[in-house]
Amino acid sequence: MKSVWARTLCRILMVLTALSPIQFAQAGMIGTEQVASAASQADRNTVLQFLGRPEVVSQLQSMGVDAARAKDRVAAMTDQEVQQLAGKIQSMPAGADDTGLIILLLVIAGVVWWVWFRR
Amino acid sequence: MGLVPPLAIALDLQGSARRLAGVFILTLAAGCASFIPQTSELAKSWPPELPKQVELSEVPFFPQLEYQCGPAALATVLVNAGAKVTPEELVPQVYIPERKGSLQVEMLAAARRHGMVSYALAPRFEHILREIAAGTPVIVLQNLGVFNAGWHYAVAVGYDYGPGTLVLRSGTLQRDVLPFATHEMVWMRSGYWAMVAVPPDRIPVTAEENSWLNAIAAFERAGDAQGARVAYKTFLGRWPENLNAHIGLANTHHTLGELSEAAAVLREAARRDPESVVVLNNLAQTLSDLGRNEEALPYIERAAAAGGPFAPAVQKTHETILLRLRGQGSRVERLQ
Repeated sequence: MKSVWARTLCRILMVLTALSPIQFAQAGMIGTEQVASAASQADRNTVLQFLGRPEVVSQLQSMGVDAARAKDRVAAMTDQEVQQLAGKIQSMPAGADDTGLIILLLVIAGVVWWVWFRR
Repeated sequence: MGLVPPLAIALDLQGSARRLAGVFILTLAAGCASFIPQTSELAKSWPPELPKQVELSEVPFFPQLEYQCGPAALATVLVNAGAKVTPEELVPQVYIPERKGSLQVEMLAAARRHGMVSYALAPRFEHILREIAAGTPVIVLQNLGVFNAGWHYAVAVGYDYGPGTLVLRSGTLQRDVLPFATHEMVWMRSGYWAMVAVPPDRIPVTAEENSWLNAIAAFERAGDAQGARVAYKTFLGRWPENLNAHIGLANTHHTLGELSEAAAVLREAARRDPESVVVLNNLAQTLSDLGRNEEALPYIERAAAAGGPFAPAVQKTHETILLRLRGQGSRVERLQ
């Protein structure tokens, strides 16, 4: 039970960190992402040190994604999004299908419908 | 099950014998409420500005192929927003064969590649409803499994306050009707994760200033400078005081080679915040790129004097400008 909540908390934190990305723009200009990030300089350094675009590309490849496509996919991510994925692709939620829906609905739908109607 | 809503309990508190039972039931009800806190909140107080019933029936439906609810859900919102794309085209952009699914980060990233600004909503049920009421379908990540498998993307396209139901394009169902509480139970397991994707000239109704600016910056990074320019302009229409949005707009102008426009936006930003090192640096760089190095020099000197976290970038710009000035000088000498 504890680990479920820990995971839930992790996911909320991941969503929150996804909201403050970092980037560099063209030479000489200080990039918008870099400026917009609320992270302190110390945080920024930490993130930059652990940047893993090539790492994430090769992870995607190892999981069946075509090499060139993996590169394009990672290119559309912010530095922080890359950071979230690095090393965690195997364990993150991956939306897949809707099997289980019917069973789950039968179990809980009656109860929750009743709660709403007696509001 | 002994679940009684709070109102019924309040009416039931007349007799002292009943009071004890009331307290007991209240505890149960409170337990239930904390189980699905956001649904309970909506049941107790419906946001007055929200319509009671909305359904975006024009939102397209792409029945998913096996395991591919990610591409199907993404295509639903992208096509609705005006992109020309099919779920099949999105499969190689978000699907991971070995995981038999799609990651949240990739859902956000792939939308940017189709000219839309993607935005992860705050983890609030009310925000889903507000987005739908504003005409924007919302992708939600649910977990329908008994344990930790069963992650599923669906698109919320409508709701009805009366029966308390959410309408979703989900899997092979064009019109999946889920009670609010059921949805909350399967949705909360993803940390209440939800996203929208809108064209750059729109702002999601629940967008928060800084989060939305970050979403635009992420969109800019994905490479659509023209779209980003529109997005920053739209942003400044809503939040004209935001300094970083000025910087972003100027950066897109600069990327597109519109140097005079970039300089004008940065001068405006410098008037708002004369001390911003980033504005000074970018203005100096832009003026230098326009060939106006003498004019650029005092700006970069002020930026250099201020120091701070961007000092290395400022130093580089300073060196570039000095180098170009020397180059100009020697050219002038040669001409004479």
